Amino acid sequence: MIASTTAALAISTTGLRKTYRNRKGRHVAVAGLDLAVPLGGVHGFLGPNGSGKTTTIRMLLGLIRADAGTMSIFDHEVPDRLPDVVGRVGAIVESPKFFPAFSGRKNLQLLAEAIDRPRGIVDQVLEQTALGERGKDKYRTYSLGMKQRLAIAATLLKEPDLLIFDEPTNGLDPAGIREIRNTMRSLGEQGKTVLVSSHILDEVEQVADTVSIIGHGRLLASGRVADVIGDQTATSLRVGVADPVAAHRILTAGGLLVRQDGALLVVEGFSDGAEITRRLAAHDLFVNELIPVRADLESVFLELTADEGLETVGVAR
Amino acid sequence: MMRLTRVELRRLFSRRLTTVALLGALILTGLMLFDSFQRAKPLSGAELASQQAQFDQAHKEWEANGAQMVQDCLTAQAEQQKTDPKAVFPCDQMEPNPATWGKPQAKFAEMMPSTLLAGSALLIFVGFLVGTSFVAAEFSSGSMANWLTFEPRRMRVYCSKLAAAGLGLIPATVALLGLLTAGVWLIVHHFNPTSVTTTKVWGDLGEMGARTVALALAATLAGAAIGVLVRRTVAVLGIAVGYLVLVEGVFGQALQGARPWLLQLNVTAWLQHGATYYVDSCATDAQGHYTCQGVEKVLSFGHSSAYLGLLVVLALGLAALVFRRRDVS
Repeated sequence: MIASTTAALAISTTGLRKTYRNRKGRHVAVAGLDLAVPLGGVHGFLGPNGSGKTTTIRMLLGLIRADAGTMSIFDHEVPDRLPDVVGRVGAIVESPKFFPAFSGRKNLQLLAEAIDRPRGIVDQVLEQTALGERGKDKYRTYSLGMKQRLAIAATLLKEPDLLIFDEPTNGLDPAGIREIRNTMRSLGEQGKTVLVSSHILDEVEQVADTVSIIGHGRLLASGRVADVIGDQTATSLRVGVADPVAAHRILTAGGLLVRQDGALLVVEGFSDGAEITRRLAAHDLFVNELIPVRADLESVFLELTADEGLETVGVAR
Repeated sequence: MMRLTRVELRRLFSRRLTTVALLGALILTGLMLFDSFQRAKPLSGAELASQQAQFDQAHKEWEANGAQMVQDCLTAQAEQQKTDPKAVFPCDQMEPNPATWGKPQAKFAEMMPSTLLAGSALLIFVGFLVGTSFVAAEFSSGSMANWLTFEPRRMRVYCSKLAAAGLGLIPATVALLGLLTAGVWLIVHHFNPTSVTTTKVWGDLGEMGARTVALALAATLAGAAIGVLVRRTVAVLGIAVGYLVLVEGVFGQALQGARPWLLQLNVTAWLQHGATYYVDSCATDAQGHYTCQGVEKVLSFGHSSAYLGLLVVLALGLAALVFRRRDVS
């Protein structure tokens, strides 16, 4: 496990635990989670479906009770001192939930009034999220993307320092996904802390500066995205040659770990493309394709959970 | 807390169900007034002529067969007294009397209590429905979780919802009761201008109106509390209908001794400052006949106050406990 090196934390949990009980028995959703989200930037909270991400977020927001462990947001113990800090936290948990019969504007007005924000801020955040023209329409008529934008608008009512997005791109079309990712990135660049939970590796890679990976309710790895990838998996090369069988024999004889992937060879744990080219050329085999393969979070996740029997994470869309 | 209550009040009156329920109550109040109008309206010339003709016919029959009719009545009374010695038939009131024949003149003191009782039932139902739906819709739409991310102090949230539901419904209840009372008074006064309503009648009606407002408030709060517990308006209404049919209907009839502990009778006793009900008392008489008689019992106002008060406090307390601790998804 890679520990976060950031001293100041937006969120931290220690030994966090939550067990659900139902007719089928007990299900441990979060099993002693130690989470550290640094101040500022985008932090990816990655794990497969059912790994405990949403449960953790709900516990942080006081929506469900933890069985054990401690949590804090901006050094305020939660849920006890959540009222002191909730004004600095904007959150979207799973799909956005508003009153369906009220307009988007009405929904925001009620929330703004509840936290004593001036009325003008509603139009401001509607404009910010490009919902100005649809603000008067009933929430139930909104597309999924618009609902998500309204949820973001709601979080912005507080002018928060910490934004928590739980699977924010679920069900969105490609344009919506891009829009949400840009918004998260932009908020992170403004110095706000953004915690984005996702089971989509690409998403976290694209938007996050740091990442925590969880599985079965426990922390598996944490740190900068590049560090987590670098530490866990060596880079590889994909090599295209006219005679892959001969090339495989030559490279294997040279002590490299090689496997065939369709018409290409994959040289594992070796990133020196020039050396590959030199060795093959020495045998009159000329490289026609040479692709460095960067380790991704999926590889990391599979490696981290190889002996735990966890399901794989979703593929990027 | 005040701010939250203001927001909840705005939400309450922005809800379509609140508008529809209050509009429905207004329409039903109008129908009750129409019914009062029909009951208070004197007979038309044609109806009076028809009534006179009927009276003349009845009087003719009385003159021809009156003595025999009284004799038959006394015979039937004597027969009945064999099993019920206290039975008394109105054999001396059989002669048609023009003063009591036909439709009597409307009197406010006689018409209003029954109209007010019907209006109270309507307002209690509206309060319960609005209170339940106001809270349950938040759970079923999922917006409660969103709300709690803005105000995590659950007891404040809970109290603000109850306060808004109660405060919002009281003016509407008072207005509808006022409309009903004023409407009936105007109708009666229009048809019977000489009718006098005594201070005591007004006092009794005022007390009954106040009890109606209190009960509608209690129903609203209890509805909101049950909304917290069940989280689905339809489910709450299903439970309410099930209770009325199974417990009040089937169980209440089968176990008459349990009637003082049923809701409907206690509601009536609260509104009317006491209520009477009947239970069957069965026994074998000296001739070996097994007979049953309805015995009148009284359910006191104090009993209904304690019973209803306890129910409301229990519902509110349980809902508060559950809302404080429950995981919100």
